Amino acid sequence: MNLRPLFLILLVLLFVFQKSACASSTEEADNRLKKAVGEVVAITGHAPDRKALQEGVKPILDENISFEAMTRRAVGPGWRQFTPDQQKEATQLFTILIIRTYTAKFTPGELPVVTFKTPVTPAPGRVEIPTTSSYKGSQYDVVYRMEEADSWRITDVVIEGVSMIANYRTQFDSEFKQGGAPAVINALKRSLASHS
Amino acid sequence: MKIRAFTMLTLLAGLFLFSGAASAAILGAAANGSAGDNDGNKAESKTSIAAADDLDEYSNVASVPDPIQPVNRGTFWLNHQLYRYILKPISKTYDKIVPSPIRRGIFNVFDNLEYPDRVVNDLLQWQPKRAGYETEKFLLNSTVGVAGLMKVSNHFQTLAALPRTDTGLTFAKWGCTHGCYIVLPIFGPKSARDTVGFAGDVALSPLFWFSLWFPSAAWMPAVSTPDSLRNLHDKLGAYDAATENTLDRYLAARSAYIQYRKQAELNQSRSK
Repeated sequence: MNLRPLFLILLVLLFVFQKSACASSTEEADNRLKKAVGEVVAITGHAPDRKALQEGVKPILDENISFEAMTRRAVGPGWRQFTPDQQKEATQLFTILIIRTYTAKFTPGELPVVTFKTPVTPAPGRVEIPTTSSYKGSQYDVVYRMEEADSWRITDVVIEGVSMIANYRTQFDSEFKQGGAPAVINALKRSLASHS
Repeated sequence: MKIRAFTMLTLLAGLFLFSGAASAAILGAAANGSAGDNDGNKAESKTSIAAADDLDEYSNVASVPDPIQPVNRGTFWLNHQLYRYILKPISKTYDKIVPSPIRRGIFNVFDNLEYPDRVVNDLLQWQPKRAGYETEKFLLNSTVGVAGLMKVSNHFQTLAALPRTDTGLTFAKWGCTHGCYIVLPIFGPKSARDTVGFAGDVALSPLFWFSLWFPSAAWMPAVSTPDSLRNLHDKLGAYDAATENTLDRYLAARSAYIQYRKQAELNQSRSK
């Protein structure tokens, strides 16, 4: 019996299945991001002040951002030298800083118009979703990097080519070289205290 | 007359000074190689063992030699005070007094007049097609857009999507790397390459030369040249976005600048 046609059909089916699985996965990330951004924009429109804005968006960001992955990558290889307690503390502090940084881009009461472009898949389990935000008369290119673990979560936000995580990485590197994990945690505490 | 002399002297002295500093810096950086990167490269060699790890993903995104960091930090501090106590209040007052559509119109007029800078750089980068689009954009905005007040070209996808170009990006296209990082007084973060490029951009600005010949146009360099008062609002916004909620403002601004320029290079190479 000649199995070649059957083998070919199976190969084609496998390819089609993989393509559609990848597309549906990307679509899932895309939908998740659209929902999250929509909710943040709605809260921005109603928030009376910055504090209310931060408190309002926190649950949405908690649900959609992987703060642990962000902290790990912002620290870099030095992360392995953190004890589990230090990792937990650094993540908690960095979470507050990320929420402040993200919400600082918005002014309560002013609505940005966000246009979503076609997502790109740089590697399996990773999606980059380019968007354009029109805000206060200017246009900004914002790329959301997402990764799939238990669900799709944001791991970096790149505004006009400037990656939030790469930016913190430079700063964490400098602190880590000066005094290891305690120096990073102290610097985070100092930064949060000075901006509160 | 006094204002004109002051503006001219400041601008020219600045340009010559920075061009000289940039040349010296390029030579210095070339001599030192990347050894001058106080923050990044030493750490990279120590941690190269983890190269395949996701923890190392961002290790090389924004590295640039910074051999004169103490001087740069001093200038950065001075600039920060200048932004905070002088330029920010000026920008806020300007925003309050001048309605947004008029501000946008003024911005557009001067942006349109930077056409020679863009078209010359397009040609220097051997991008005749892009130079053609720039010319089309200039003619359209100058005529239908009433002397550039309205950016009519934004209604056409090809013209709206044209990437911004400058002399620094032309040097990048020719293969020049950043050299070392320099913080210029008033103008802020630059690399050695972009500092020389900035001088080139000013030299290609028709308003700069116009103001040299006509005393009544002495104020023009202050608003027409790149990174000038015209861009103050956007520049301060970008500065705040990059340096608020940080552990070290200086490092944050340096990283943001280098990443931003890398993206500009990428946008140029993508556009044909």
